[in-house]
Amino acid sequence: MAPLPPRSGDAVFANIERVNAELFSLTYGAIVRQLLTDLEEVDEVNKQLDQMGYNIGVRLIDEFLAKSNVSRCADFKETADVIAKVGFKMFLGVTASVTNWDADGMSCSLILEDNPLVDFVELPDTCQGLYYCNILSGVIRGALEMLCTSY
Amino acid sequence: MIVCVAVVGHQNNPVFLQSFTDSDDALKLHHIVHCSLDVIDERVNNPKKSGPTLNDTFLGVLYPMDDCKVYGYLTNTNVKFIMVTTDTDLKDGDLRSFFKDLHSAYVDAVSNPFHIPGKKITSKSFAERVSSIVKSFGSGSTF
Repeated sequence: MAPLPPRSGDAVFANIERVNAELFSLTYGAIVRQLLTDLEEVDEVNKQLDQMGYNIGVRLIDEFLAKSNVSRCADFKETADVIAKVGFKMFLGVTASVTNWDADGMSCSLILEDNPLVDFVELPDTCQGLYYCNILSGVIRGALEMLCTSY
Repeated sequence: MIVCVAVVGHQNNPVFLQSFTDSDDALKLHHIVHCSLDVIDERVNNPKKSGPTLNDTFLGVLYPMDDCKVYGYLTNTNVKFIMVTTDTDLKDGDLRSFFKDLHSAYVDAVSNPFHIPGKKITSKSFAERVSSIVKSFGSGSTF
């Protein structure tokens, strides 16, 4: 069978099962609140969110590759684009923009204009160092680690 | 001119109070709001036969004072919104939509996972939304 062409983020998102956005935001908010109550330290919570994201990412990457049929990325720039346009669209329903490339092309920023995780959320003064969406960094870290064959 | 807006929780605990005039002091407004709570309780416990059948009850004028009127709005969860105003002639429709806007701002504020139910609302964006609702209410009624 000929390989299927890569599907754009919108096409995948249209066919995938979805969940109510408010339920999602409130559930994530409850998780973060509970972590803060249990761990009390903002740094600990950040670490825990990253670890949770990592566990999600190592499983999520298989589903992503199966559903989206993206071809092999040539370099890190392409990888970042695929994460921003296809990955985020598929799982969060929003696309991110890739900016802030450094000189080596080794690091960039993914900016989410409209992040469903942070609907209704306002950080109180006691939690100013909290990386509320740290789970997303963990997910990306876990997913990319599964793909790394060398280095 | 809207003098103040207050939100009171289901255990009659104050959740939010904001005044929009410079002159009135907070104590007098607290007193007015407290008295109107009694009126609300009275209305709730003695429902008139001809009362509104809507669930989100807009209570209307709670009691007229010398220079201002007090309006109330009760939600299903017994959260009360109270508005004190010096305007003499206000349309029912304007008031209802004012309280509806206030209700949706309140719902967004309590959906914040860092808000503790029953405690005061500390969200700055809620205060800003209330201010903008109050401002647009004033300009809307000049038509």
